[in-house]
Amino acid sequence: MKRVLVVDDSLSVARQLEKIIAESGDFTCVGHAKNGAEAIRMNHNEDPEIICMDMNMPGMDGLTALRTLSVMDKQVKVVMVTSLGGVGDKFTEALKLGAKNVISKPFEAEGVLRILREL
Amino acid sequence: MAVKFFGQFLVEKGLVTRDNLLAAIELQDQKNLKLGEVAVTMGYITAADIQKARIAQLSKDMRLGDMLVDMGLLTIVQLCEVIIQQNKIHLYIGEALVLVGALSPEALQKHLDAFKADQAQYVSDGIELPIHSANNSIWEMTADLTFKMITRVLDLQFRTEKCTIISRIAPAFMLAAMDFSGDITARYLISVSEGAQQSIARAILCEQSVEHEPVEVLEDTVREFANVVCGNVAAKASQMGIDMEIHPPETLHPPLEGLPVPDGFTALSFPIHIQDGDRMELILLVRE
Repeated sequence: MKRVLVVDDSLSVARQLEKIIAESGDFTCVGHAKNGAEAIRMNHNEDPEIICMDMNMPGMDGLTALRTLSVMDKQVKVVMVTSLGGVGDKFTEALKLGAKNVISKPFEAEGVLRILREL
Repeated sequence: MAVKFFGQFLVEKGLVTRDNLLAAIELQDQKNLKLGEVAVTMGYITAADIQKARIAQLSKDMRLGDMLVDMGLLTIVQLCEVIIQQNKIHLYIGEALVLVGALSPEALQKHLDAFKADQAQYVSDGIELPIHSANNSIWEMTADLTFKMITRVLDLQFRTEKCTIISRIAPAFMLAAMDFSGDITARYLISVSEGAQQSIARAILCEQSVEHEPVEVLEDTVREFANVVCGNVAAKASQMGIDMEIHPPETLHPPLEGLPVPDGFTALSFPIHIQDGDRMELILLVRE
């Protein structure tokens, strides 16, 4: 099963994603980080294959963390999960920084899993 | 189920790759000229004029075209001609994807039709406002998206009252607040009764009962609802050429006397009545 780290300052979003991952049958959640700095730390400790990361978080935001991760760990695949996915500049910036895709909020299980399975 | 732009729709559906999209965007960046650049190629202004206008924009909140007219560097007729020319030569993302070989013209048309159908649910219905502001279309769109997300995300039946201007924010069980900055400064507030908070939590967490959930989680679901709406507002605004940044949501517990409306802002109230007598209220604090 592929290991996924969830990064979001929202407890409810993290719960939604963890539920989708747990019920998928082919992914497992290895942890929940609440900001970009914690995401970098947990990526090192938990060694996930995939990170689902929010863009808009207090402290270190998702794009800053993505920039760091793309340099520190070239193996991990990052998918941004954000309410700003429909803003063209944000979407493009995320892809240019190395994100594999962007999931827009509100999301559904089917859409999330399709994107994760394509990685 | 969100407001998207066409390139994002194609990547999400696996119809083009991430690399295709980036190549198409790079081609657009090379080909598409900004308004000022078009005006220069048409011989109406110089690069130095653009620089003067940009400096003036630091102290006056105006778009470049309007600023050039305001400074007497362009006439209104010339501005219209520049905009028409800019639209004429604009390379759209779909066309760029065809040029980089990611799509055939036939596939482009098919995907455009699917995209329009996907996004049709986000076309705004008319909402009447009691103010006349240059940004009325944004506030109408914000209210409309809020109502649409109550239906789609929360799956709640509701009815709304007419929008009014209020001088004080009424006390409520809790409020979630998010700030907009960028081209527009405003605060988005969603006020909820205890029952409404529970309904929101059940929908966001996909749980039949949220009785045993901690307060922190229940409040987070209301903040997340605000976040979803505001992110989609920013997406729609960007399609209208308006840049809106959003800041992380926060929780407010107003005192019994309510909250004052900050100086320099007008407060628009949209009362929302949901099932079983529960109540929400959308409040927009907009800069006068």
